[in-house]
Amino acid sequence: MTPGSLARLAALSLRRDRRGAAFSAFGVGIGVGALVFFVALGLGVGRVVREDVFPADASLIDVIPPTISLGSILGGGKLDQAAVDRLAALPEVAAVYRRMQVRVPAVSRYQGDFFGAPLRMGVELLAVGVDPGLVRRDVQMGDFSDPGPDRPIPAVMASRLLEIYNKTFAPARRLPQLSSSMVVGFAFPVEFNRSYVAQTAPGPSVAAQAQVVGVSDRGLLAGITIPLETARRLNRAAGADADTYTGVALQAKDPSLVPRLIDTVKRMGLQIDDQERRLAESTGAAVALTTSALALLSILICALAAVNIAHALFASVRARSREIGIMRAVGASRADVQRLVLAEAAAVGALGGLLGTAGAFALALGVDALATSYLPPFPFKPESFFHFPWALLGGGVLLGLAAALAGALLPSRHAAGMDPARALAG
Amino acid sequence: MIEARAIVKSYRDGEAEVRVLDGLDLSVAGGELVAVLGPSGSGKSTLLHLLGGLDVHYQGEISVGGTRLTGLKDRALSELRGAQLGFVFQSFHLVPSLSALENVLLPSFFSRQGTSPRDARRRAEEVLARVGLEPKQGRAPAQLSGGERQRVAIARALFGRPKVLFCDEPTGNLDARTGGEIIQLFQALNRDGLTVLVVTHEDRMSQAATRVLRLRDGKLFPEAAG
Repeated sequence: MTPGSLARLAALSLRRDRRGAAFSAFGVGIGVGALVFFVALGLGVGRVVREDVFPADASLIDVIPPTISLGSILGGGKLDQAAVDRLAALPEVAAVYRRMQVRVPAVSRYQGDFFGAPLRMGVELLAVGVDPGLVRRDVQMGDFSDPGPDRPIPAVMASRLLEIYNKTFAPARRLPQLSSSMVVGFAFPVEFNRSYVAQTAPGPSVAAQAQVVGVSDRGLLAGITIPLETARRLNRAAGADADTYTGVALQAKDPSLVPRLIDTVKRMGLQIDDQERRLAESTGAAVALTTSALALLSILICALAAVNIAHALFASVRARSREIGIMRAVGASRADVQRLVLAEAAAVGALGGLLGTAGAFALALGVDALATSYLPPFPFKPESFFHFPWALLGGGVLLGLAAALAGALLPSRHAAGMDPARALAG
Repeated sequence: MIEARAIVKSYRDGEAEVRVLDGLDLSVAGGELVAVLGPSGSGKSTLLHLLGGLDVHYQGEISVGGTRLTGLKDRALSELRGAQLGFVFQSFHLVPSLSALENVLLPSFFSRQGTSPRDARRRAEEVLARVGLEPKQGRAPAQLSGGERQRVAIARALFGRPKVLFCDEPTGNLDARTGGEIIQLFQALNRDGLTVLVVTHEDRMSQAATRVLRLRDGKLFPEAAG
């Protein structure tokens, strides 16, 4: 029996019971559709978590001084230039970016026009200085170096801060929505060694202007990122520590080297700041777990669909026993009969898989449209909550096929094993 | 054309074993039209199923068209049925959901000769024309009379250009006139060189046969033809 003959005969056979075939395909479609829908939702949400909420560079690790260590008591474990040089000399390290927090409090008091809207506010501000290389790719104005006193301090804003502003602060205060390109060039006053809540250093406060020169994933979330030398200058002026660093970002030569690098750094008496990475991992794990539970439920629906197909095919084979006898009489072998039953099931399964996958895609479009229309804006709200890679779409159709074939296995063997003489006798 | 030697076929009926064919011998030459007569339950259909390779559970030796059926694997047996044998049954055994043409085309789906769909359709129309049913090829079996359904079944049996036609009570469900027409059709096919073996309980078939055998006590006995 050639594949073409098999396909034509299966089509003729399915034609006789369109309603039964449609019902079986519907069952498969529900299971496949549910699976594709939930997996696409998990992938979509996971992508938002990974790329927007916790954008992590797989080859970047943050090194911080140990909170408590014998080394620090004895003078070791500090992140001074010597420690940075030792880290830079590690064979796994491609680049080292130092971080130094401005060690005096700072506030920003703003009064005036804010992108066309009047604004009067004061905020406590954190500032951290970094080596320019860490954020250079996102800097759109100047070369991100210390401008010296009395000139605006270049500041990089965290892209997540901009997202939070746009989705929560701006709507609440009826302020304009801002894009990355809009905020570049925006200048605002900063007063160092001044605070509404914290104790300040003995010296006077220092008034300065900061100017946004870029928006970066690598920017400080709760403050501004400024050039390292500016932070050093401000700390020195306030009489604070201007020699040791609050952190060092290490760029590994390859993401696969990161675990080894982490071990080496820990052996040097330093700590890894992986809070954000762990948060991202635990959030990702929660999403994956929920998705897996829903996917398991969907697979159960597929299994039930397979059982339904098995029942339907057993009934069909019994009802068609005489027809199977005729086929055997006109030249069908046992294998031909088995292939025919499997081909009919495959057609039903593929149709169910196709309809289920298409249905899941359509439902996702509907959910996205509803979310756009009815869900209020919130930080990191994606344009789509779903992600449909080709493998998922193809996998949906294949799952339908596999469920139907699994259901058809026993009925097809039963049909193939029928004694033609008895089948003809009815 | 057909050789059967020492055929024994038994059924189990509860605890008892019923020997329906008991050392049966048969030899049919090419071009014969043989009628096997016998009452219902005498084992005529069983004999036909054995000779046609539809039942492989027996003792003895069977050869058809020079091929030894005994011990043949399922695939080879199926090929033999598709290529050399044709079957006509009392209750026609047409697939109700298929048209007359599609019923005749049924063997083409299992053919190992790789006949194209166009050639298969041409052949099906040809055999339907041979039995006088070409104008009704698109009709479902339910839209045909009993005689017409049997003609469709004969056309299906002829589709693969068989060497032997096995007929199981082919006129059993037909009225006398229609049954007579079907018998005439068998005679015409036999005149064209087709070997025909008919098992029936109707004596009128013996009028048309070139040889008549009676099945009694599991064995065949010759009777005068005509």
